Amino acid sequence: MYYPYFITYMLAGFVISVGVFIWALNNGQFKEQQRARFLPLEGELETQPVRGSRMGRLETYALFSLACCGLLASAAVLAFALWRAP
Amino acid sequence: MASSANNDRPNHRTARAFCLTSAFWFAAAASFGMIGAGYLIAPDFMANIGWLHFGKARPMHVNLMLFGFVTPGLLAAAFYYVPKLLRTALYSEKLGVFTAILWNITLPIGVVGLAQGRSQGREYAEWPWSVDMLIVVLFALVIFNLVMTVRRRLEPIIYVSIWYVCAAVILTGTTYCIGNVIWKPSTGALLGIPDAILLWFYGHNVFGLLLTPLGLGVAYYVLPLATRSPLYSHTLSLIGFWSLIVVYTHIGTHHLLQVPVPTWLKTIAIVDSVAMVIPVMVFLINIWYTVQGKLGTIHADIGAKFVFTGTIYYFFVNIQGSMMALPQVQRVTHFNNWVVGHAHIGVLGFAGVVAIGGIYYVLPKITGRPLYSRFLADLQYWLLLIGVTGFAVVLTIVGLIQGNAWLNGETVYRVLPEIHLYYILRASLGVFIISGAYIGLYNIFRTLYFNPGAATACE
Repeated sequence: MYYPYFITYMLAGFVISVGVFIWALNNGQFKEQQRARFLPLEGELETQPVRGSRMGRLETYALFSLACCGLLASAAVLAFALWRAP
Repeated sequence: MASSANNDRPNHRTARAFCLTSAFWFAAAASFGMIGAGYLIAPDFMANIGWLHFGKARPMHVNLMLFGFVTPGLLAAAFYYVPKLLRTALYSEKLGVFTAILWNITLPIGVVGLAQGRSQGREYAEWPWSVDMLIVVLFALVIFNLVMTVRRRLEPIIYVSIWYVCAAVILTGTTYCIGNVIWKPSTGALLGIPDAILLWFYGHNVFGLLLTPLGLGVAYYVLPLATRSPLYSHTLSLIGFWSLIVVYTHIGTHHLLQVPVPTWLKTIAIVDSVAMVIPVMVFLINIWYTVQGKLGTIHADIGAKFVFTGTIYYFFVNIQGSMMALPQVQRVTHFNNWVVGHAHIGVLGFAGVVAIGGIYYVLPKITGRPLYSRFLADLQYWLLLIGVTGFAVVLTIVGLIQGNAWLNGETVYRVLPEIHLYYILRASLGVFIISGAYIGLYNIFRTLYFNPGAATACE
């Protein structure tokens, strides 16, 4: 009784994914990739982007610092866990 | 029921309804979370209120965050950008509004059910069976509306955001049925280990196959648009999409490495968890190259600022996730608050922050007016940033204390006094988050209604 449920679960995802992939392939969804890059911008380019500010740049630096701290903490935990591992 | 592509200018009523739904339930879910945090400081907190003790407040908090706040918030943006990217109208705004109304009927039923003690007792799958069925119906309605919109599209190419949102609702509609064992209404569960396996396939996929693709879809739409930059590579984004679909679906068993489940299943879970680095880095490289040199522009746009911050949290939560799947690391990090911190970075830091960003980005476009208050949105941003980052730090520390103590053979009750201070810190940081939630609710409500801002051309 272990297997039927989660094999059904995995198969359901697999079958749906393969079916959709084949449809996409036949439907030309992997062509015109250069034009696809611009799709969100269509009809929007006439608007000027919002100007950046000094505060915005400071926020960027603050976020970058936070990101570095988090990365260092993650690396430290990994090192600690491997060091403590029996 | 169906609206034609040639109809008058779209009114985006569905997107509006989902924006308001998300903002309201964020405040409600954060309130239940605050109650839970109170219990962790003082276990007899609200002890006389039986329908609100920790065992009930916690699933209310978790399920409302997942299905009340984050999912509707990400869908709100999707209901705006899917028709726009496909150059057609949403198949049915009426159906969309009906879905939002039913969504707001379903959630209170779930909360009342949990308050009555009708929880199914499975983490992330506590809703009673009747609510499970309503959620399946809700996903079916969303799938129908989106797929019919895709079918009627005038734009032949399906942009990557649409791939993500369609995959999210279709796969979740399927996995919700299986993971909640809806064919057994009396229990909503199997027996023993098979139930644990099925539950964690579902439990992890709520994040992996619902919130992640919905969040990535919003990021792929908002960030190129906000910076007026074409996507760095659409091909790369599709590689990221398909690799996520292949890899993410089978990693749930990494929650069960200490459990006697089949070894081959554990191996798949660990290998795929580490392999998650591929779709994650594909997305991040793609989106960060897209906005390269335009961080100032991003931070000047409140919606894009939220979304970009969400991508940073996405980086962390996934690096953590891949690490945590390693058995040696799990010996320290599993069954303690490290995992709680990880979940908060993922659901609130990544998906929640992206959802709020998506809402703030589309609100001016769907209302034709600027946000009611940019200041309040900025305030909410910093409250959430401090709250979530603080949560991550505090819960990580607590997790390491607990994990290390248990590794050394300490008993649970001897560790509890050590971590009490951190629970107080956690609740204090929760005040930032709950404040941000209520400020966001006010700001979004005022943007939708009673907004004095000058009207601009509505899309």
